[in-house]
Amino acid sequence: MFETNKIAQGVHVHVHQTTQFKTINFSIRFKDRLTVKNASERAILANVLQHSNEMYPSHTALRMVLDDLYGTSLYIDSTKRGDDHILNLNVETVNDQYLSDEGVLEKVMNLMYIVLFKPNFENELFKESIFKREQESIVQRIESVFDDKTRYAQQRMMELGLPGHPASITSNGSIEQVKQVTNESLVAAYHHMLENNEVEIYVVGDVSPEVISAHIRDYFHFTDRKELPEKMETQLQPPEQSRVLEYEDMKQGKLHMMFFTPVTFRDEDFPVMQLMNGIFGGYAHSKLFANIREKESMAYYVSSSYASQFGLMFVLAGIDRKLEEKAVSLILGQLDEIKQGHITDTELDQTKALLTNQLKEALDSARGQIDIYDQYMELSEDFEPAYLIERWESVTKEQIAQAANNISLQMTYFLSGKEEAKDE
Amino acid sequence: MNKMEFNQLEETLYHEQLPNGLTVYILPKRGFSKTYATFTTKYGSIDNHFVPLGEKQAVQVPDGIAHFLEHKMFEKEEGDIFQEFSKNGASANAFTSFTRTAYLFSATGRIQENVTTLLNFVQSPYFTEQTVEKEKGIIAQEITMYDDQPDWRLYFGMIENLYQNHPVKIDIAGTVESIQHITAEHLYTCYHTFYHPSNMALFIVGNVEPDSMMQFVKDNQAAKTFDAPAPIERIFPDEPKEAAVKERTLEMAVQKPKVFVGVKPERLDLHGPEMLKHELSAQLAYELLFGRTSNFYHEAYENGWIDESYSFDYSLESGFGYALIGTDTNHPEKFAEEVKKAIHQAVEKWPFGQEDLDRVRRKKIGFFMRALNSPEYIANQFTQYAFNGMNLFDVVPVLEQIEVADLQNAFALVSAESQQSVFTIKSPEKEQA
Repeated sequence: MFETNKIAQGVHVHVHQTTQFKTINFSIRFKDRLTVKNASERAILANVLQHSNEMYPSHTALRMVLDDLYGTSLYIDSTKRGDDHILNLNVETVNDQYLSDEGVLEKVMNLMYIVLFKPNFENELFKESIFKREQESIVQRIESVFDDKTRYAQQRMMELGLPGHPASITSNGSIEQVKQVTNESLVAAYHHMLENNEVEIYVVGDVSPEVISAHIRDYFHFTDRKELPEKMETQLQPPEQSRVLEYEDMKQGKLHMMFFTPVTFRDEDFPVMQLMNGIFGGYAHSKLFANIREKESMAYYVSSSYASQFGLMFVLAGIDRKLEEKAVSLILGQLDEIKQGHITDTELDQTKALLTNQLKEALDSARGQIDIYDQYMELSEDFEPAYLIERWESVTKEQIAQAANNISLQMTYFLSGKEEAKDE
Repeated sequence: MNKMEFNQLEETLYHEQLPNGLTVYILPKRGFSKTYATFTTKYGSIDNHFVPLGEKQAVQVPDGIAHFLEHKMFEKEEGDIFQEFSKNGASANAFTSFTRTAYLFSATGRIQENVTTLLNFVQSPYFTEQTVEKEKGIIAQEITMYDDQPDWRLYFGMIENLYQNHPVKIDIAGTVESIQHITAEHLYTCYHTFYHPSNMALFIVGNVEPDSMMQFVKDNQAAKTFDAPAPIERIFPDEPKEAAVKERTLEMAVQKPKVFVGVKPERLDLHGPEMLKHELSAQLAYELLFGRTSNFYHEAYENGWIDESYSFDYSLESGFGYALIGTDTNHPEKFAEEVKKAIHQAVEKWPFGQEDLDRVRRKKIGFFMRALNSPEYIANQFTQYAFNGMNLFDVVPVLEQIEVADLQNAFALVSAESQQSVFTIKSPEKEQA
């Protein structure tokens, strides 16, 4: 799917030439280790770099030039995957051929260069007012998680259950660390990123791989990277508390459960665990949906998800706060069904069909193509979707039951309104 | 079968109205593996007062019934329809809005089987008192979940502020109390009135061959019998021009106060091309006044009145609409005051010229082109537009014709002081951290 060119040690350009889309998508990904300090610095850095630069020194000036380039979308986000922290410049621009204007693509690529390499410096530091403002933005972004009770509950469980582990470090770092970043340390983090981070550059659209790769090689001046730092220890330690109950001013009860599977993305049994999760609670035909929601009418949402980077599985449900115990017992009962091999042919076939469908559908967006390739590149350099589909096809019920028997509940976290809070 | 070609966009739309009244649209997307289909009725939460099919007296049905009906369509005597879609490798879903109820699937194979399931399950209602009772627990949890979401409360709080009588002010899912009154009989009444093929549209987009698919849908529909199409009589109360409530605050646990300034449009009777031109023109005017390149945004950012949650939007349907400008902020009063000031100044002295228009027009064309990569966007947006007599593929040509005076005229209809309202959510504590 993607044609890869190495333009420096640790810097690759991957191009998928296709006429499927009316736009051209770019993603430039700077990868570093996921530590609280790195995440905190890079979350601010992402905001500072997308605010303005040397050529367009105000946010308004930068946004005006983007509007003029047919509303080219440009944003920088910071995300995480496994023990990687990824600062990602995303750009999407309309393909010239749909416009009366030409030369849009070259202007866009030039702008990407300016955004990354010509920041809005004043005496070799980021402009102080912008630095301060964006530092504050990240603090507020972290604080705002509280307003989304599902995200908040999940974050609380991870903090309490796996403290310090990459699974619990968020891509924005922590309030404490964000506040400790100085303009000087941010500039150092910026240079470190440009010079030392592994860089994966993705391009999807009707463009020539040779032309794009040559352009990036000649204009972006990426130098050879030294060896990347060692992988982090991601061994899972059982949580100290197996059950935590917390209260906030709210109506619904949020039940979050964490399991060790212990199969990761890199293990032979990875496709087996994907199927196990799908049958258990991954889809609307799954055991959790059919029983906890449809049969018991206890929940609007109840589902399981598999975090394959660390071999974790989560179950989330929104329930009446008085029904925690009943819900936990019903959920574990469904897991027991799978452990005992009570899986129908229909459940197995449905889950295989939906995993396959999901993968193929994801490839119908440029962003999906990039995300999937970026993830699976690690398993096989010439990754094709058929690789996964074939492996799902061969999985048996016995394998799934066996995998389920290795799954262990490690923690339940319940967030709900206080008892005296009045019901409606 | 009719064919509409949009050469500049390299898209071709096939469509036909079948003898039973159903309108079918097919848009092939070359290079795509998936097919996305929506089967939509022009029936949403606002249609709560109407004359049932074949009767003379108007009825008022319990709040939240359109959404309740959507949930119940998935359960049949033989089981759950999600299971059926999963067997054929499709992901299915549904949603209810103020004006529409849509049933949908996406799949990368067995498209005919999945289209059959979609058409057949929506066209075979099965409601019993027992299954209706059972659903109440599930929907009560859904309502409770939304009650805990401050952004949802902010949005609905603002709509309640703007509308005095129009049912748009009623929460789409109703309340835990209102859904208790829903019976199987209610569901059948709503179903028979609003799910007639002549009140519905089928949109299929993606990896699909138009001729054979159209024939396939025709055959499916020809094998079923429906009553002759009859016009639906909906009753809407009179709605004053002014906002119902000028200002209101809700206390709820939030990290930082949240505020919306809303503006109610003066003309709520627009339809077709006139509506499209107005909506696009007003959106461009709001983009110039409140977008990321505006003086307002610059000031608000520099002074810390807004954060990353800042947003603005203008949308219009038949009978209601709203412009919304909002943010999380520690200075909700200041923010609201400045938004109102910006609107007032633009009314007093129109500040935008040709160059401004050209820039935001280009931005909007680019946004539209990007959106056309998404089968979901095309199907849902096209259907919404079609129900209001507009054609989605007219967006670019209409944008190209819009002049500065159009922006000014559209803005004049969505700016009067008496049509404005402010809604704020704050934590109960007096002191904000």
